[in-house]
Amino acid sequence: MAAMLGVAIGVALAVLVTMWLQQRRTSAVLQRQLDAAAEELQRLQQACARLAPAGVVDRLVADGVNELSEMPAQRKVVTALFADLVGYTAMSERLDAAVLARVLNGYFQRMSDAIHEHRGHVSTFLGDGILAYFGALQPNPWQSADAVRAALAMRAAMADYNHELAHEGLPALNVGIGIHRGSGLAGLIGSRERMEYGFVGRTVNLAARVQTLTRTHGVDILVTEAVRSELDGSFELDAMPPEMVKGIAEPVVSYAVRERVAAKIQ
Amino acid sequence: MSTALANVSWEPCFMEARQDRELEAYARRRMGLPNAAVRYFAAVPWVARTAIDLHVEFGLLVHLDQNTADLVGLIVSQENACRFCFAAVRAVMWFQGMDRERVQHIEQELARHDLPPRVRAAIDYARSQSRTGPSGAHGAWTALRHAGASAAEAREVAFTVATADFANRLHTAAAIPPVPMERVPELLPMRLLRPLIARLVRKHRWRGSAVTPVPLVPDAPYAQLVNAFAGSPIAPALARTMNEMWTSSHLSRRCKLLMFGVISRGLPCEVCEIEVSRALQREGLDGDAASRVLTHLDGPELTPIERLLMPYARETLWYQPAQLQRHTRALREHLSTEQLIEAIGVAALANAVCRMAAVVMAEPA
Repeated sequence: MAAMLGVAIGVALAVLVTMWLQQRRTSAVLQRQLDAAAEELQRLQQACARLAPAGVVDRLVADGVNELSEMPAQRKVVTALFADLVGYTAMSERLDAAVLARVLNGYFQRMSDAIHEHRGHVSTFLGDGILAYFGALQPNPWQSADAVRAALAMRAAMADYNHELAHEGLPALNVGIGIHRGSGLAGLIGSRERMEYGFVGRTVNLAARVQTLTRTHGVDILVTEAVRSELDGSFELDAMPPEMVKGIAEPVVSYAVRERVAAKIQ
Repeated sequence: MSTALANVSWEPCFMEARQDRELEAYARRRMGLPNAAVRYFAAVPWVARTAIDLHVEFGLLVHLDQNTADLVGLIVSQENACRFCFAAVRAVMWFQGMDRERVQHIEQELARHDLPPRVRAAIDYARSQSRTGPSGAHGAWTALRHAGASAAEAREVAFTVATADFANRLHTAAAIPPVPMERVPELLPMRLLRPLIARLVRKHRWRGSAVTPVPLVPDAPYAQLVNAFAGSPIAPALARTMNEMWTSSHLSRRCKLLMFGVISRGLPCEVCEIEVSRALQREGLDGDAASRVLTHLDGPELTPIERLLMPYARETLWYQPAQLQRHTRALREHLSTEQLIEAIGVAALANAVCRMAAVVMAEPA
């Protein structure tokens, strides 16, 4: 009887120890998963900071997307840069789809790098076009100069890329860039299913219209008077004749950007 | 142990560590532990001393509890992606007896709602002051006050954030190696010495007490900010730091003011810009000229060093660590070691002071 009791206690103890060990293993696995999730959340938060202002990201993490739809948009002064490939349609008909995709990806990457390097953020790719903002995510009183520097960096990156394309026997790409500064509404915009941090207003339309004028004037970078008035004398600009554009009542005065002459540090 | 910032890119250190027995002994006396990082700043005493003296746990806090201050230091270092400071705060928490899981748990808690409302509000305010800037900090300050923090306690939160902002930029810009600090809890000697080190850490942490207000030169830049802390031990510590920074001669006073002006303009902090503008006028740069050079970060009035350091100050406003480190390293070609360290120190202090001043100077005392 005593032996049986001893065996029973032994078995019960063995079961308890096994359960305790399993419990510990499960806890350890759960803890690792929790740690991994926390790290992932941190990475996600850092990545989101590239898409929306810090305050919006904090609210997104804390309250979730549904609460964010209640967040009021803010009126902000932003500089919009609109870039578009010249002669893309003709090129797209000549090139194999895989080659075309590779060429386009290379173009988007180089242009995005130039924009990020000068503190802009790419809002969206529209076909072969790029819409980028300066001063939308963080306060930036130097946003117009940043946008023009970015445009000059895009021009230089495009020249390098065309050398690479020429080596492969591919046609050269040309880009037209329009830049305008003005106020508009910045905030989370979209439907319940799909939202994005966007900027709405005449500023974006005018940047896009000015971009189309690059073809009219035969230049690659055009800025409006609102941008020109923010630049210092180190940027060499040529005034272009005023032109009417779709949707704007007055003729638009624009300036072609030749280059930036920075005095050397002694 | 793996940290939330383990994936943050960090350039190799390009600063030369300089042994300074007196300075290191001072750090050990004050902090209870050796602080090897101050060697990198030893060539400019005010920068090295500020890195030691502006730690809030050494007698600067009267109202804010130390645990909340630790959390604020942790969250600001996380927001600023300073791997060195983040690892240092974690190491101190580990020395104090928290196991690694508990430290990780606290980090996870920082993103949750189950903290006491006042602590939560302090953390939200810390995030806003350091990351969103004045545009969000005013609202977070009001929320902190509504959560029950007295004006004096809220000002101590703001100062705690400012000290973390300073330390983060200082150690990030100089690319101080974070790995040794990150590995502290894994090293066998550290594990064995942990109880002893914990005692040393506890022994050297002390609460401050109210002090007699220090009369300040009324027209000294940021005197109004220092006066907002009148009666607190923060006031003399801050006054001494600011005074030593302005009087140090490796960079001109005008150059430092212009760097403060860039930070004020970039945040933006209007009260700071008024303060800087007045001080620049006393240095012979009139209002129009000051406004013009701050608008374009350049101008014929500027010296070559000012033309280098105004864009550099701008880089420290909203930065990615590796990018800031590359920019700092590039300055070495144009500046002496002392000038470079002073430039890093001024930019770090300007960010700390202007972010805090935007809220504290705008509030009635």
